[in-house]
Amino acid sequence: MQQLQLTLAIIKPHAVKNPVALSFIRNVLKQNFIVVKTKRVTLDQNAASVFYKEHVGKFFYNRLTTFMTSGSIDLHVLAHMNAIQLWRKILGPTSVYKGQFQEPYCLRGMFGLSDTRNVAHGSDSPDSAEREIKFFFPEFSVYQWRKEDEEWYRKGPIVFNQHLFQHVKRL
Amino acid sequence: MNSVRVILKNRISSVVSTRCYATTKKKIPDPDEEESLPIFQYPVSKSSDRRMYVWGLAETGALGIHIPRGKKGRKQYRRDFTHCWYPMRSTFAERFDIAEVAAGYGFTVAAIKTDGQHKVFGTGINTDSQIGYHAPRAGHPLELLLSPAPIYLPYKSLETKVIGLSAGRAHTAVLTDNEGVFTLGNNAYGQCGRKINSNEEYKGSMVSHNIKKLNKEKLVDVCCGQDHTLFLTEGGKVYSCGWGADGQTGLGTFENQAYPAPVQGDITSEKIVKVASTGDCVLALNDQGELFGWGNSEYGQVPMKNPSQQVNMSYALLELTKGLGKITDIAAGGSFCLIVNEAGDAFVWGYGLLGLGPNVQTCPKPKQIPPALFGRNEFNPNCSVKKVACGIGHLAAITNNGDLYMWGRNRQGCLGLGHLKDQYFPLKVAIGAHVLKVSCSVDHSVAVCKPFV
Repeated sequence: MQQLQLTLAIIKPHAVKNPVALSFIRNVLKQNFIVVKTKRVTLDQNAASVFYKEHVGKFFYNRLTTFMTSGSIDLHVLAHMNAIQLWRKILGPTSVYKGQFQEPYCLRGMFGLSDTRNVAHGSDSPDSAEREIKFFFPEFSVYQWRKEDEEWYRKGPIVFNQHLFQHVKRL
Repeated sequence: MNSVRVILKNRISSVVSTRCYATTKKKIPDPDEEESLPIFQYPVSKSSDRRMYVWGLAETGALGIHIPRGKKGRKQYRRDFTHCWYPMRSTFAERFDIAEVAAGYGFTVAAIKTDGQHKVFGTGINTDSQIGYHAPRAGHPLELLLSPAPIYLPYKSLETKVIGLSAGRAHTAVLTDNEGVFTLGNNAYGQCGRKINSNEEYKGSMVSHNIKKLNKEKLVDVCCGQDHTLFLTEGGKVYSCGWGADGQTGLGTFENQAYPAPVQGDITSEKIVKVASTGDCVLALNDQGELFGWGNSEYGQVPMKNPSQQVNMSYALLELTKGLGKITDIAAGGSFCLIVNEAGDAFVWGYGLLGLGPNVQTCPKPKQIPPALFGRNEFNPNCSVKKVACGIGHLAAITNNGDLYMWGRNRQGCLGLGHLKDQYFPLKVAIGAHVLKVSCSVDHSVAVCKPFV
């Protein structure tokens, strides 16, 4: 069996504020992935500009950072054999206005409002996933997880804890 | 033997005489009877009667009608949201006299004609208290309302009338005739026109803000974009507040604006009569029928000489609308704009399913939607488009006959055509009344109508 891959999913403020969209997205996460960590935070301007520093200078940079700081966001560390690609496939094309016609039933096509208010963020490569997870979960070591916990997340037995919104070891 | 026969005969005759026939004796009508009969008066509506029709996604409660989910088992959130496929007459509007309605992102607000305290009602998503504080159990405010509930607003006088309503992504603006504008809901960008408090908790908040006058001028119209608000004063000046990252506040900056400030640029010397915004792009119309625009222009909604994607100041779009004549109504969607001229022709530009054919396309110049699609033909040459509205991805037009036409992206059945497929040309929506106003949002639509009889 292949090793599990980790990715970071960020549910953006407008989707967190919509109970219908949020419960739909959470069901998608729960059914398709092993949810390793979940946290709800509110970003401040500094954290957002550090997190999106690769986009500095692009025209949408200010729009993106002010949007991400406008409300609480949900962070999920997701595990799956092909987590990064699968999550990006479920999300759909980045641009909502363009992508909603090609893939109307991806998450962005269903709940996206504009190119910035595009429901969720997904890491684009294993390296950036690791960097982003480290940014939001400083207490969580990907190395440690891979060495110690990866096996029982893969082999089980695990159960889903609805309260934590995380998969946990079945005792 | 003889006597027996007589008895039998008698018995038979007695049976025959008591038999009942199914038919009755034919009644000959009396010619004078007609006048003595009472005339049954069918109820005829008053000219002030209004109906409200709602359609689209019912899951959020934004329609204020109960649609049972049905037995779908555990996977009820799969893709089967409850929808209202066709325009449905809202029972709320039967109980109250509807004055105004507005559709926001997953919620609807409606104002009624009354002298009581409860003038505005809201239903749908309430996670930012955009439809007020509702807590049946103290300390546990509701995040979702499935049927209309009154919104408490601190009116000075109960004679105040609500003359305008507008709703954005998570905020509501209520315009009254002499107490200015009340704003409710999310203020993370300053869209409520008050100080931005970054740690403010919007869920279960009872805060409403009153903007009485702007620069000592009375407010006559209010328009909410997704995360910004535009105010129109009596003198035709436009003020804005809220998110400015796309320039949608038109203040010459890309910063958030907490207090309403006058929009900069070409409109400062004009008398504006209407502003329109649904997404992040804004259109304004002056009393001469000229068009102005600012905000997001990623898809060419506000074409500039230098290709800029964010226009943070108002510009006159004279070149764009050259040859279209006087413009009478405007609407701005997420990635496109829709306008109507004096002749009742609808023009569209931008990106998306614009109603010009089956392809998703970019249209840099206003292009006329064939008037035949709105019912103008040789037998009906006077048919013209009067009003337009835009949601984020869908468009709507009302003709002078009170017919509603909709097209565009059919997210969650917001077009009311009975299916989820995108509609690439205008199609008449089945509403059994004369449509006066339609309000489109992201995934549902609301129409105010007048009964036919």
